[in-house]
Order: sequence, then structure tokens, then C-alpha cells
Amino acid sequence: MDRAAPLSHVPRRLRLATAIGALLTLLGTYLVSTTDRADAAPVANVIRVAEFPADCTYSHRLPDDPIVFPGLPGASHMHSFFGSTVTNGNTTLPDLVKSTSTCNPAVDVSSYWVPTLYRDNVAVEPAIATFYYLGEGVRADVVANTQPIPQGLRLVAGNAKATGPNDSIARWSCLHAGQVPPSKDFVTCPAGTMLESYLDFPQCWNGRDLDSPDHKSHLAYPVNQACPSTHPVHVPKLRQVLRYPVNGDPSHFRLASGPGYTMHGDFFNAWPTAEMARRVQDCIRPVIKCGHDGRPI
Amino acid sequence: MRARAALLTTAVLLAGCAGGTPADSAGPPTVAPAASTPSSVGSAGSFSPTDIAWLQLTAAMTDRLLPVLDLVPTRTTDPAWRRLAADVRASNRSDLTRSCQLLREAGAPTTNPHEGHDMPGMITTDELTALRSATGTTFHRLLAAHLRAYLTQTVRVATAEQKNGVHPATTTLATTVIRSNTTHQQNLNNLSPTPTSPTPPR
Repeated sequence: MDRAAPLSHVPRRLRLATAIGALLTLLGTYLVSTTDRADAAPVANVIRVAEFPADCTYSHRLPDDPIVFPGLPGASHMHSFFGSTVTNGNTTLPDLVKSTSTCNPAVDVSSYWVPTLYRDNVAVEPAIATFYYLGEGVRADVVANTQPIPQGLRLVAGNAKATGPNDSIARWSCLHAGQVPPSKDFVTCPAGTMLESYLDFPQCWNGRDLDSPDHKSHLAYPVNQACPSTHPVHVPKLRQVLRYPVNGDPSHFRLASGPGYTMHGDFFNAWPTAEMARRVQDCIRPVIKCGHDGRPI
Repeated sequence: MRARAALLTTAVLLAGCAGGTPADSAGPPTVAPAASTPSSVGSAGSFSPTDIAWLQLTAAMTDRLLPVLDLVPTRTTDPAWRRLAADVRASNRSDLTRSCQLLREAGAPTTNPHEGHDMPGMITTDELTALRSATGTTFHRLLAAHLRAYLTQTVRVATAEQKNGVHPATTTLATTVIRSNTTHQQNLNNLSPTPTSPTPPR
């Protein structure tokens, strides 16, 4: 498996300095947001969210998976690709780096793919796919120490071979119909609303591998608001949100991988290193909601 | 009843490479490799991610096919279909054994994240249920569709492995799979020339 360039061991003194810096930054942000709150009442604290997004439109469909079946085009079930416009079964990092992207921001030439959704055996593509990079689900001091996701990282989230809702982390809901309870399988969305899929990727990296034999275990989910000692490096949490222009009876829907609870996502990180690092520094560590350009909103 | 018992036994015995030995012991007895067979202990060269992904997929696909083939003697008396099923079973069973050997040699997990669910060339649980209750020409038609999907897909991915794989014994196995499954495809076409209705997209 590929290994990332080793992270130099951060000296304790530097770590302390970082922690103090983070505290000061947090304090600064607090002051900024309090000022904002003066005229914008209850939603003003939304700015205090560690977040930067990439909004990507559908690019193409192929029965390929360069993470799970590298070098074996045609080996997979049908996938819908977002981001890089070139991804196929033979794609490697250099291919992505020099490609164009369907994302806003266009600098994000990463590749994201999911099993294709079918309604009555006709493919339906999301109107928009949003990939949020978040600092949440861990303690504030862990967020303040977030590291960039290394370029070339490959990761699969979700359980494509789930046999029921119990072994799935999928989440289906309806856009503009919050009264419909979310479910691990497809839900019935009222007319005029859209079917939504949420999927959270793990955010604790082992600090070493860009991939692993199962394409999952080089990252882990947090435990007790912190990263486990086996996966000590906290990176932004990738949240995939897909909005499909369909609603109504879910018995018409299926994924290329099976029922709704088999939803999964594949991520091949090709963000330019400097762009990812800037966003982690300016948006995630100081807990500021940024726009597509990676600047505070 | 006998058929059901036989099926159950097969299902228990064939869990891909899992456990390794029970599945292997159901196959041909272990004999010293023939002179032309590469040594099963430590074949030369290292495995690439493509080699491993292909071996895992081959094991998963074959694992899903065998219950289909096991149904044939219980659902049809037609000797031509029975012979075809037996031939497909023999070569693919042996390819499965070899895939598992190579995966063990590579020290790779015998499963992958995309195994065991709806994949091209793999029969779904619902389809297998339908096949279990079919007889006569319906059974032949469904069987032909599943065999055709399996053979087409295994030849497709073995061709990619032959081209992009690096481990010599693994690309050799890909060549074997292409040769035997192409022959099976021709025999299937002779038996059932009409293209069956396309399977739904996966």
C-alpha cells in the first residue's frame, strides 16, 4: 500500500504553542461572531462552524472503481462520478491532478463516486452533490489540531454489502420535508421535495497509509470525541450530501449496489496540497464557515 | 429433500476462500503439482493491487455461481445442459481454488468491500430464488441468462487482469480463465443461440 510522506514528529513545545494559538484563535472567533450576532440574531452563530464545501455536478457513469478494482475497468457495478471528469478504472493520482473538475471550486480535482440510483431501472443523477469538509464530532482541541487530508488518499465509506439497516451508516431523508423521519433505507418524500442521502466519512487517519487492503481501515471514526491511538491524526470529516430529483414510492428505487442501506461513497483526494492546507488553517482549525473559495462567508 | 440437503451442504462448504480448507477439501484431492503448474509455495514476483482485486473478485464471483450450477441436475434432465453445467463447474471450481491459493500467498484478505452484493455477472438472491422454482424451458432460459452474464463478465475482467496485472502466476490464471470461459460461452451459444433479455443495470 502507498504510504504518505511521514509527518515529522511534532515537538511537545510546538504542540503547546499550537494549542495556545488555537485558543487565541477561538477567542478571536468568539469576539468576531459576537459582534456579528449583534445585528443578525439567531442564525449568526452558523458562522462558528468549521466547514468548507465543494459543490460538484454529475460528471459521468462507468462500471469502474479505481480504488476497489484498480486496473480492472468494467469490474464494478455502475458508479456515478463527481469532481474530476476523467476518472475510470485505470485512474491514478497524476491523472486527477491534471484533469478538470465539475466542482465549485474548480481547484478540487478530487474524484468522488457513488453507486448509481435507478428509478424503474432508469438512472437518476443527483441535481447536486455537496462534499462538506467539517471539523465536528470531536473535542475543540482536536479540531484545533486538524491536519490536511493527504493528497492521494483513497477511502471508501458506508457498507456496500450491508444486508440490512443494522449494518449500515446510510441516511436517507427529504429536502424541504423535515417531518419525514430519516432512515437507513429509502424514504417516501412528498411531491415537490427531493430525496437526500447523507454519508459521513471517518476523520481519524493512521498518519501513514494512503490506502489499505479494505480501503477503509487506514481511517477510523472518533471514539469519545477524540481520535483513537491507532489513528491519531485528525483530518477534516468529509460529509457527502446527494440530492436526487425524485420523490414518492421508494419501491421504484434501487442502487446499483442493492437497497438504500447499501449506499457508500468512494473518495480519491486530489486537492492541491496548498489549497487543502489553507482551508484547514483558515476554516477548520479556527472554526469558521467558509465558502467555495475557502474564505470566511 | 435430497436435493435440498445437497444444496445446503454445498452452501456450507463453499464460502469463497473463507477458512480455505473446507472448500478445498470438497474439490479434487491435493496432489503434487504437475510439472507445468507453477509451484504453489511462493510463486515468483509480487502482487499489485490489480492482481489482488482481480483474485478477490474472481473468488467472489465464482462463489456466487456455484449454487446456480448445483441447481442444474435437480431442475433439468436435459443431458446437454447438465454437461455444460458440469464443465463450467469443473474449470471454475479449479480457478477458485487457485485464486484462493494465490490470495493466501499474497497475504491479502479474501474479501473486498464490493463483494457479496449486486455486481455485474453475479446472480442476486432474488434471482436465485426465482431460478430455484423454475422448470423446463423457463429454467433453461434463466440459466442461460445467468451463465452468459457470468461468462461475459469473467472474461472481461480477466482480460483486464491479463493486460494490467503484474504477478506472473496471477496473469497466467487470467489466461486460463479467459480460455476456458470463452469455450463455455461458445458451448452455451450452441445450446441457446437466442440472446436472452438483458439483465437490469447494476
